[in-house]
Amino acid sequence: MATTAIARVVEVEGERIGLDPEGYLVDLADWSPAVAFALAEEEGLSLTDEHWEVIEVLRSFYDRFEMAPAMRPLVKAVGQALGPEKGRSIHLMRLFPGSPAKVAARLAGLPKPTHCL
Amino acid sequence: MSAPFPSDLLVILRHGSHGTNWLREGLDAALVAAAFGRGVSLLFMGEGVTALLRDQQVGPLGQKGTSATLEMLAMYDIETLLVEEAALERFGLTAADLMLPVRLLSAEAIAAQPGAHRLVLTF
Amino acid sequence: MLLHILNRSPATSRVYQQALVSMAPEDRLLLIEDGVQGALPQLVRYFDGLQGRLFALREDLVARGLEGRCEASVQVVDVDGFVALTEEAERTVSWY
Repeated sequence: MATTAIARVVEVEGERIGLDPEGYLVDLADWSPAVAFALAEEEGLSLTDEHWEVIEVLRSFYDRFEMAPAMRPLVKAVGQALGPEKGRSIHLMRLFPGSPAKVAARLAGLPKPTHCL
Repeated sequence: MSAPFPSDLLVILRHGSHGTNWLREGLDAALVAAAFGRGVSLLFMGEGVTALLRDQQVGPLGQKGTSATLEMLAMYDIETLLVEEAALERFGLTAADLMLPVRLLSAEAIAAQPGAHRLVLTF
Repeated sequence: MLLHILNRSPATSRVYQQALVSMAPEDRLLLIEDGVQGALPQLVRYFDGLQGRLFALREDLVARGLEGRCEASVQVVDVDGFVALTEEAERTVSWY
């Protein structure tokens, strides 16, 4: 669930984008590719095509199911959309180190995944 | 004795969407367990069978329904959806009225379910 | 053997039916809280077929003035008995 309290803001192309205490967008409608680049920079990531295709998978997952996926369903969704080679946790770990389901959801402008630690 | 459990967790859902939070809470518990790699079966009993009806919408005040969550179950590998056949009949429904493929259970088959799972949660 | 625990009265709630349909032939049923009303002679018929496997919690009967009014076939247990029933069962399943 996105919280309504803005803990901090990032400035992206002159817009002030509100983030919750964990760095997720407060207003999901604020998302744009430029916002994703800005959030990725905070994570020390430079986004490649491989990142973007996962972000797209996440955004369509959210459109369809109204929730951000935990790791297992994320792996499954990526596998279904991009093929079995990419539908593996190691691939996602490499792209979004740490906690891929959380990091990728943040960059994709989704709320924090509900069903993972 | 190594009991051959078909899955680790049986979540019994006895409430429809809207009205109360029970259905959502039960689905959340199932999703958390599945996210951690547990095998999960869902058993829809009593009023719970109505949770699976097609064509559900948001509530009159815009409250989110649960259809999207039910459609998501397959992504969490929750594919054992059991339905109390007698309850379906009490509501004048058939499996064709439901949004997902389910297995209809007789009263005898239901009685075997709690013992066949390592953990049972009722919602 | 599983221990099923019911805390709703059969006079006001149909939850007891869900408990009954979910019980295997050797499973036991313990009535607690308002569920203990089901131990009354007029209401125990809802639990036909559970002879020897139907229990009611003494503390909840006492609190409701129902101790001594139970059908003889219902086994009345105190909290220690509740614990013992739980230990004898593989697992418990709550109906509420």
